[in-house]
Amino acid sequence: MDKESRIKKVLNVLLPVILALLFGAVFIAIAGENPLTTYATLVQRSLFDFRGLMQTLHFAAPLILTGLAIGISFKAGLFNMGIEACLLMSGLFVAVLGFRLGHLPSPVLIPILLGAGILVGVLTIIIPALLKAFFNVSELVVTLLMNYAVILLVTYLATYVFRDPSRGYISTHVISSNAIFSRMFGTRLTLFFFIALAVFALAFILYKYMRLGYEMNALGKNLPFSEAVGINVRWKIVTIMSISGALGGLAGAGWMMSHAYAYTPWFSTNPGLGWEGLLIALLGSESPLGILIAAIFYGALKYGGYTIARYTSVPSEIIGIIQAFLILFLSIQFIRRHRLLDKFKGWFKTDKSHKEEGA
Amino acid sequence: MDFVMSVLESTIRYAAPIILCTLGGIFTYKANIINIGLEGIMLFGGFATALILYFLGFYWLSILGTVLAGVLLGLLFCYFGITRKGNFIITGFAINLLAMAFGYYTLALMGRTDIPVVRHRATMIRLDFPLIRDIPYLGRLLSNHPLFTYVAYLSILIVFIILYRTRFGVHLRVTGESPEAAKAVGLKVDRIKYIGVVIGSIFVALAGFNVTLEHLGTYTPVITGGVGFIAIAAIYCGRGSPGASSLYAILFGLMRALSVRLSLMIGAVAGLFQALPYVTVIIILAVVAIVRSQRTNVRSYSHE
Repeated sequence: MDKESRIKKVLNVLLPVILALLFGAVFIAIAGENPLTTYATLVQRSLFDFRGLMQTLHFAAPLILTGLAIGISFKAGLFNMGIEACLLMSGLFVAVLGFRLGHLPSPVLIPILLGAGILVGVLTIIIPALLKAFFNVSELVVTLLMNYAVILLVTYLATYVFRDPSRGYISTHVISSNAIFSRMFGTRLTLFFFIALAVFALAFILYKYMRLGYEMNALGKNLPFSEAVGINVRWKIVTIMSISGALGGLAGAGWMMSHAYAYTPWFSTNPGLGWEGLLIALLGSESPLGILIAAIFYGALKYGGYTIARYTSVPSEIIGIIQAFLILFLSIQFIRRHRLLDKFKGWFKTDKSHKEEGA
Repeated sequence: MDFVMSVLESTIRYAAPIILCTLGGIFTYKANIINIGLEGIMLFGGFATALILYFLGFYWLSILGTVLAGVLLGLLFCYFGITRKGNFIITGFAINLLAMAFGYYTLALMGRTDIPVVRHRATMIRLDFPLIRDIPYLGRLLSNHPLFTYVAYLSILIVFIILYRTRFGVHLRVTGESPEAAKAVGLKVDRIKYIGVVIGSIFVALAGFNVTLEHLGTYTPVITGGVGFIAIAAIYCGRGSPGASSLYAILFGLMRALSVRLSLMIGAVAGLFQALPYVTVIIILAVVAIVRSQRTNVRSYSHE
């Protein structure tokens, strides 16, 4: 990549961040606080303070995974919006297993739970993946709708089937202490962050050196070409969606074992770790390194949101506003990425070709 | 019989906002743009309705405000998606998040969990037809609904006329089907797309009015419950024709009504029944796509 295009790329990400923070400042002012001092508090608390920085990394861990999950499918031109569903399903089942299998020692239990989370993630995404691969049903619409169904299913299970009756609110039993990642250096940081880092390293290798990484890119850039040179498009779609779902499931399992400890309706907060993964994939322009940086940035923003809510009168919901503006401004960075647009033009063309046939 | 009647009655109620969203989305669909921001525009419409009613309390002003909210988000979508040539999937998604974030932030500032407008339901317009009201069964179904429920069904015809019987409709469809041809005959393509998206957004915002004031009497950032996405599925299944897509919208409304009525009867499993509409929409979407893919003969993966 030449120097000029690299600068362009950095600017393309920095400008939306600055604009989003400016718009966020307006809303901070509406809440009656000084935006500058509020942002200063945020940066100070979440980046220039050891415990705060560890909190930031702790919050970044699941975001690295959901960011990669969405980044990988976007790279292949698949609009997989079902990561939130994978994460919720995995969170619930890991919470249940972490309680029921609590007698197992940690070195056995933790890998089992992580594996279970991954499996649940894959099983959640497999239906949209198969529908897309074999019948070309829009994965975008199916996964978006699936999220609603999954939220209802999971809430139902947590309320009536796996509920801990001793708690005054909807919650499953707290997982066994054997299933909990222990904290490091007396901070919130746990092994989960390093697992996320390891996955990042794997993704980096996948993108750069593995055949699947190349095929993924080819699929996203030019589907007919990929097919013509002999890539089995159907199975690649299923594979990539499954990897994506697995990462979402792993994120849910890890978050359960490092932060939540029991499934509650606010397990994934608002708007949800899966949705935040979308932002991170966009912000990191779908490259693993970019996603890692974006996840840490967003982790700081998220933890910072809680601190400013504590130290100022600005509600932590401000982060949602900044996030929405950020995505809005990032949407116009796709000018030089024709493949995503082309894909959707293609989507409509199918429809028209059908129409002509019908007529 | 009573069960059937109550399901049908609820269907008319639940289908109305889906129809409005579907019709609104058709305008962008015809311009060859997919707007997944329908959900957000509807939510923002409901937000405007609730804010105006809660703080000012004027019925007509709240309708005007809802329309303006729709126009505003429509223009926002157009600016990013059309003028700046952004990725409109991401733009639409941002609009969804924006509408939700505004809601949550405002509620946090107000220190409330919802914005109740229930007391304004007494002043809202309900249409009662003296003769129809007295027809057995049918009268109960067709009479005494709030204004925008009727507007929704009437709009099917209005949208059909706009799209297929006016000059603007022809221009919009040409723009969507062949922008090059549209440009060649001297149409201002971007302007036509702008108008199409903005008109559509007004319909969608009114769906928010319908739900917030006329159905629930309260606003929270979750009132839309996926109606915008269900509408996209309806458009896809009906291939963007106002009549066919609205029929799918009514079918999805029926699913919603069934899930609510059944869950009232059953009890604890009720929560699960609420997932019925989403699951059936996915199934119907899949069936439609499978039938279509079987009609086309393509070698290997059908990538259009």
